Amino acid sequence: MKNTEIPEIYSIKKTPKETLAHWYRLMAVGRTIDEKAPNYLKQAIGWSYHGPYAGHDGIQLAIGQSFEKSKDHLFLYYRDMLSALSAGMTAEELILNGISKATDPGTGGRHMSNHFSKPEWNIHNVSSLTGNHTLHAVGVARAIKYYGEKAVSISSQGESSVSEGYVYEAINGATREKLPVIFVFQDNGYGISVPKKDQTANRKVANNFSGFKNLSIIHCNGKDVFDSMNAMAEARRVALEEGHPVIVQANCVRIHSHSNSDKHELYRNENERNYVQEYDPFAKFRRLLIRYNRFTEEEIREMDDAAALEIKQAHKAAMKAPDPDPATIHDFVVPEPHQPEKYPDGTHQESGEKKKLITALNETLKAEFRHNPDTFIWGQDMANKEKGGVFNVSKGLQKEFGKKRVFNAPIAEDFIVGTANGMSRYSEKIRIVIEGAEFADYFWPAMEQYVDSSHDYWRSNGKFTPNVTIRLASGGYIGGGLYHSQNIEGSLASIPGVRIVYPSFADDAAGLLRTAMRSRGMTMFMEPKALYQDPRAATVIPDDFEVPFGKARIRREGSDLTLITYGNTTHMSLDAAEQLAGEGFSVEVIDLRSLVPLDKETLIASVKKTNRVLVVHEDKVHGGFGGEVASILMEEAFEWLDAPVRRVGSTFTPVGFHRELEKAILPNTDKIYAAAKELLIY
Amino acid sequence: MIAEMLGEGASASLNAETVTEEQFMQYERLILGVPTWFDGELPNYWDEFVPALEELDLTGKKVAIYGLADQVGYPENFGDAVGLMARLLRSRGAVIVGETSTEGYTYESSRAVENGHFLGLILDQENQGRLTEGRIKKWLETLKTSM
Repeated sequence: MKNTEIPEIYSIKKTPKETLAHWYRLMAVGRTIDEKAPNYLKQAIGWSYHGPYAGHDGIQLAIGQSFEKSKDHLFLYYRDMLSALSAGMTAEELILNGISKATDPGTGGRHMSNHFSKPEWNIHNVSSLTGNHTLHAVGVARAIKYYGEKAVSISSQGESSVSEGYVYEAINGATREKLPVIFVFQDNGYGISVPKKDQTANRKVANNFSGFKNLSIIHCNGKDVFDSMNAMAEARRVALEEGHPVIVQANCVRIHSHSNSDKHELYRNENERNYVQEYDPFAKFRRLLIRYNRFTEEEIREMDDAAALEIKQAHKAAMKAPDPDPATIHDFVVPEPHQPEKYPDGTHQESGEKKKLITALNETLKAEFRHNPDTFIWGQDMANKEKGGVFNVSKGLQKEFGKKRVFNAPIAEDFIVGTANGMSRYSEKIRIVIEGAEFADYFWPAMEQYVDSSHDYWRSNGKFTPNVTIRLASGGYIGGGLYHSQNIEGSLASIPGVRIVYPSFADDAAGLLRTAMRSRGMTMFMEPKALYQDPRAATVIPDDFEVPFGKARIRREGSDLTLITYGNTTHMSLDAAEQLAGEGFSVEVIDLRSLVPLDKETLIASVKKTNRVLVVHEDKVHGGFGGEVASILMEEAFEWLDAPVRRVGSTFTPVGFHRELEKAILPNTDKIYAAAKELLIY
Repeated sequence: MIAEMLGEGASASLNAETVTEEQFMQYERLILGVPTWFDGELPNYWDEFVPALEELDLTGKKVAIYGLADQVGYPENFGDAVGLMARLLRSRGAVIVGETSTEGYTYESSRAVENGHFLGLILDQENQGRLTEGRIKKWLETLKTSM
């Protein structure tokens, strides 16, 4: 039944025959692959994950047909095989993904089967965290709007994943910013075995958003080709002409089980399994074509035969394609960064006026915004009159660069990170800086986007990398307590795909930030907020200073003991070294600056000189990054060690609020001195 | 049950799954069974007849519609299909008869409702099966005059 609230552009009687034939071919090819996919698994060829789309045919055809390749942006989910085919991908490309070949256009066999993508056409590679690409769709739509392009961003997902909080963050942001996004909810009534009544109170989850301003909601029959085509056409019109987001909720049926590891016989009775079969959208389309004399039975048969031949050829070609090479696993983990030419080791001999760490960050941000007009920054508390950032690091940026490049974000950390990832997808030239959260330990709600973004480059076989620098005010010594005083880098360092830097002096902060903002890829930029205004962290800074990633800096030379540290504890370590010098000990202090990548060479060279190592950081000893440093030295420099590598850091507790609690928990100069002394006399 | 109660009052019984435009046009007074499927849809057999209906001139025809619906499972779209069909037929010139009261049903919204009445008879076998026979009898009585 057509939706009477939207214009009827397509109908069985009015749609040109060649259009109907094109649609039929797509639907026939799609359904044949959908039905054959399980055979690849049975024959141990591949396609070990397959989420059959049968029952979603109408809306998926319409999604693909509504997409203008290389102009629009399309984010599909794991059941969107026909959407991908309809958007222009070939049967062979679908099979290449299904059986994980090296020539799979989106992932080269690195990502799951049934995750179809073609990044060069803006059919983006999405992860399996279903629905989280809504944030990417919103981010890229922000770029579409900023650059004034007449295009839309289309996100597709099942109705169950709308339960995820990030979907609400995405739609909230898209409506607030009035962005051209079409959110499609393909509603088949189930999230694997979970019926939609267990997801939300509203059978039509799109209606949960009816209170949002600047939003159109269209319901359609996703089992009906014409209703779906009309709904998507109207959604596209609204997004383009009225310039605000649209939700299209398409009612579908899931004819088969959720996937090949699910058995729907366990939770759907025979009656239901039968009637969803009767409501097969492809069979309905075929009946309509014949009933209304658009095609004869013979013509339909010919089209079926042509589809079968097309798939046979696609299968043969795909089977011949190469498998991924295990020797390539280290390719595309992190892109090659910007290489400083003038300051190859990240040091300088500049003299003159010292600047504070906060000034270094502020001035570098401004300089880089002037250097690259496609640079953006957002975060909570980013800009309001004289305030710029929760600690005023970004003060004055909005005034100079305007509200379109420097702006506030909602209190939604995942949205902040996810839309950065999404906006990056628009153009390789874009560089984004975000304040990931007000304080580092408020970053946890964004972890799903952090993790997702961390493997974008690898997962897409090098075809996409988010060019994002995440700034976080980190650490304690301010009496902040929970969520205001903790360190998170130890937890993050185990996740490949993101660089992590943690400067402790103003010049290094400036140099690392410049390098991060000029590099491709993701950089986590930790700022020791206790040092923002601390004169000990103030230094002279060359205007064009750059610090390469993975280059530690020896802040004090010594021969008896090496203190390896970063962030706040660099200064405490220097104080302890000075104290020990008074007792005749020569202590070397190495500021890592960069945790990932790690400058192993400098560390090992120091061990060879001093033969004793104390690793010091503010984060917890238990599970902290020092454990990794210590293990590397034990493995690679054991012969030069005269004592066990020891560590100083926080206790294995949360950071307390009362100053005395904080003092007992965090490391300080006395604790470092004591541990160092023990090692020196070991 | 409706056909049984009508007895000889009905001159023919047509199968909606196979009905043609010609058969449909033969009769001046029609009673259509239009159950609501999924979240407020027509069943396929009616849905696939819609493109034909949209071009028929139904002027002079009197049509009464009944349909199964589920007010507990699908309260947001209770009996929508009755309303969808009634409005479509009316737009082609038919007169819709057999409106019923909404009293005795609990639901959130329904496209079958117009001016406080259902545009036909809604039967809820799932939740009010015991009321079905009485509702049909009462409805058929009203049709005797309205048709």
